[in-house]
Amino acid sequence: MRRFAIAVAVLASLLISSTALAAYQYAPPRQWSPGASAGSTYSPNWLANYFMTYGSGYDKTVTFIRNTNYGWYNTKRGTADYLETYAPFDGTYKAHCVAHAWFWGSCNVR
Amino acid sequence: MSARRRRWISALVVAAVGAALASAVVASSFDDGSSLTAAIDEAPLVRVADIEADEGAPALGVYTQLTDTGHVCVWEAVSAASRQRGGGCNTVDDPLNGQPVSFTLSYDGGPAPVDVRSATVFGLALSEVAGVRILMSDGSWRAVKLKKARVGADEFKAFGYRFRKSDLKSGNGPVAVVAFAASGAEIGRQTTGIG
Repeated sequence: MRRFAIAVAVLASLLISSTALAAYQYAPPRQWSPGASAGSTYSPNWLANYFMTYGSGYDKTVTFIRNTNYGWYNTKRGTADYLETYAPFDGTYKAHCVAHAWFWGSCNVR
Repeated sequence: MSARRRRWISALVVAAVGAALASAVVASSFDDGSSLTAAIDEAPLVRVADIEADEGAPALGVYTQLTDTGHVCVWEAVSAASRQRGGGCNTVDDPLNGQPVSFTLSYDGGPAPVDVRSATVFGLALSEVAGVRILMSDGSWRAVKLKKARVGADEFKAFGYRFRKSDLKSGNGPVAVVAFAASGAEIGRQTTGIG
């Protein structure tokens, strides 16, 4: 029984960690409205920030905001289903996404 | 520890792990884009247009990518090998969102337009589009060079354009990207949402 429990625990931890490593969903799937926004925590380790919508042609923005001057960096605005930008090399940033239309979607950072 | 207590603890561990497993499976069943991000990391990039360097901003390439998830991606990057890239992906059956031209607006600085330090626009147009121009907020136009681009079996025209520093400093922003037919007739217009 104990061996079985350990095996199941190891399997579960692998599955959970692989799910967590894929992306951190800082704004889970939901209905967005024009002007609605969301942001992740600040980190020096973010690589990329993406906004994924269900359906095409919806205007949206992804960017990184620096913790010192709150300026926007590597901002991308467009209507692609999947819109992605990358984090600058230096400094500490948070991922930020903004909707400019009504749609269903989620914001993720990795 | 008694045998009965050990059985209880084991049962509790199994129940907790089972609940964690179930929640992980449910979480992973939502499409968070991770399958597409994995495909993006694997598929090769093809350079289809160029964006000129300007006053400290590096020259950039416009790249297309066809992923095994069935997406057409258009990126702006210094090189094909660079992971420092931004852009977007659409499904291969609707690569331009049903429009004659599809683009991504890219900028540094802001969010107020007057604080934008550099800005570019890049994207794809249908092969029958003869010209693409950018309408600025002062009513002037900026011409964009088009280059033929093949993505999979489909032909497009690719473009990339860097906005002048003088336009940015004066707050003259892009209002719309407009597609024209060979006759000069406007066949599509997509607003940028700014400018």
